Amino acid sequence: MKKHIVHHLLRISAAALMLTVTPLSQASDQKLVLTGSSTIAPLAVELGKRFEKLNPGVRVDVQSGGSSRGVNDVRSGLADIGMVSRALKDDEKDLKSFTIALDGVGIILHSGNPVKTLTDQQIIDIYTGKISNWREVGGKDGRITVVNKAGGRSTLELFLHYFKLKDSEIKAHVVIGDNQQGIKMVAGNPGAVGYVSIGAAEFEAGNGTPIRLLSMAGVAASVESVRNGSFPLARPLNLITKTEPVGLAKKFIEFSRSKEVNDLVQAQYFVPFVR
Amino acid sequence: MAKYGLFSMTITSNLDRFMTLAIWSAALLVAAAFLWLLGDVLWHGAAHLSWSFLTEAPENAGRSGGIGPILVSTLMILAVAVAAAVPLGLATAVWLTEFIRPGSSFGRLVGLSLDVLAGVPSIVLGLFGNAFFCVYLGLGFSILAGGLTLACMVLPIFIRTAEAGLRAVPADWRNGAAALGLSRGAALIHILLPAAAPALAAALMLGIGRAMAETAALIYTSGYVDRMPSSLSDSGRALAVHIYDLSMNVAGGDPNAYASALVLITLLIIINSTALWLAENLLQRRIVTA
Repeated sequence: MKKHIVHHLLRISAAALMLTVTPLSQASDQKLVLTGSSTIAPLAVELGKRFEKLNPGVRVDVQSGGSSRGVNDVRSGLADIGMVSRALKDDEKDLKSFTIALDGVGIILHSGNPVKTLTDQQIIDIYTGKISNWREVGGKDGRITVVNKAGGRSTLELFLHYFKLKDSEIKAHVVIGDNQQGIKMVAGNPGAVGYVSIGAAEFEAGNGTPIRLLSMAGVAASVESVRNGSFPLARPLNLITKTEPVGLAKKFIEFSRSKEVNDLVQAQYFVPFVR
Repeated sequence: MAKYGLFSMTITSNLDRFMTLAIWSAALLVAAAFLWLLGDVLWHGAAHLSWSFLTEAPENAGRSGGIGPILVSTLMILAVAVAAAVPLGLATAVWLTEFIRPGSSFGRLVGLSLDVLAGVPSIVLGLFGNAFFCVYLGLGFSILAGGLTLACMVLPIFIRTAEAGLRAVPADWRNGAAALGLSRGAALIHILLPAAAPALAAALMLGIGRAMAETAALIYTSGYVDRMPSSLSDSGRALAVHIYDLSMNVAGGDPNAYASALVLITLLIIINSTALWLAENLLQRRIVTA
């Protein structure tokens, strides 16, 4: 009972606080909240800005935090649309997903590293700690620094899925969050190996950052090979909803999949979705 | 005997020289670390800094455009945090020093909980802020939720510093005030608080410094939206969150990340020197002139 009263008091004071700061004109059906993948977030911000310009009075709020969060927030109703930078898993098939762009994940090394290519098995052995010196894969003598992604990141899940590994099997020396962090980690450490978004890596390598993308299964890691579907480690960037989208959410998703936003997708170094 | 004395003197002077060298290099190292950081940010950031950078909205995920809305959001979050933390913190510090017996068990409990709160990692506070302010109290992703989360983070450091400042005021002054028949409130306002003003300013600066530099506590509370906020219930991206996103998540975001970092450091220096100046010149003058 006492807990109830405290609960109510807190809610009332919060409501009072909101009343003093919220302009009355703000209708909630004119606002879309997106949460999820940090990879998609910068793109979604740009999509939102253009959508707001085309639809005066509409607001699109984008929050970052990782794909898992996108799934959770859509389920709990905290977000209207979730951002998930991978295909939905089997236990997430109750949600609706809509691909807005494609992205590849490529293995990167420091550009001073003479190793030109690694087989899938060599990559598995490096990430499970069976190979710990570059000499064993044809490089110079030197310790390998394994850079892995943090749990809940789609890039990690895609990587594990492709190489049929479990997160617990990976012997990582460095665990990172976002893409740029991975690129900076490898650029600053000649013995490091990591895996990041291909578009971002291609851009950075072209701008003099000392990293190199490795080809995989004989296919060069490039935006072009992701576009034509030949690169094996590619992923869809999805918007997800709890139920079949209606109203504003439907309009935004259709807008995000349309040709009018190809320039925005490319500006974030992703591959536009083709219907 | 004389030889022995000479020998020991050589050892002492060698030791002295070594100690002097070590202490000087330690001090230089600390100064060099700060100067290196400042130099690095200045070197990379100064070229991108302009009036339009400070006023324009970010474009292309922050690679181009400016930080206008982000600057406004940051100051609003800071204002909420200060407005919530300072009255609450000052009252608690006064209570701890003036209203309870030293060593009382409840006072110790409050002190202990403050120390524990001070040690909570900011990401944990961020998740707490998200669960409590955003979801439970229904504030959503908002500047208000972010500011209140920061207030929780700033409170312990503010209270502990303010408390130390108040304790440093000589007990004679309290007795003197009582002997003159000043009420407790009057003594507090006219003597104790002005006397402790520099420490209170330091407490405020430490708090603001921590709040301005915060990323983890804000990304899940005040959020990621980089639009110009129109009220405290809007989501607004803080400067530190913007810097983090530009350098860790946006390819080609480094130049603007550096420029934003330069703005953040400049803002900190301005706020700190203002707080110090206020403490030295306005509050303290009220008692020191006599």
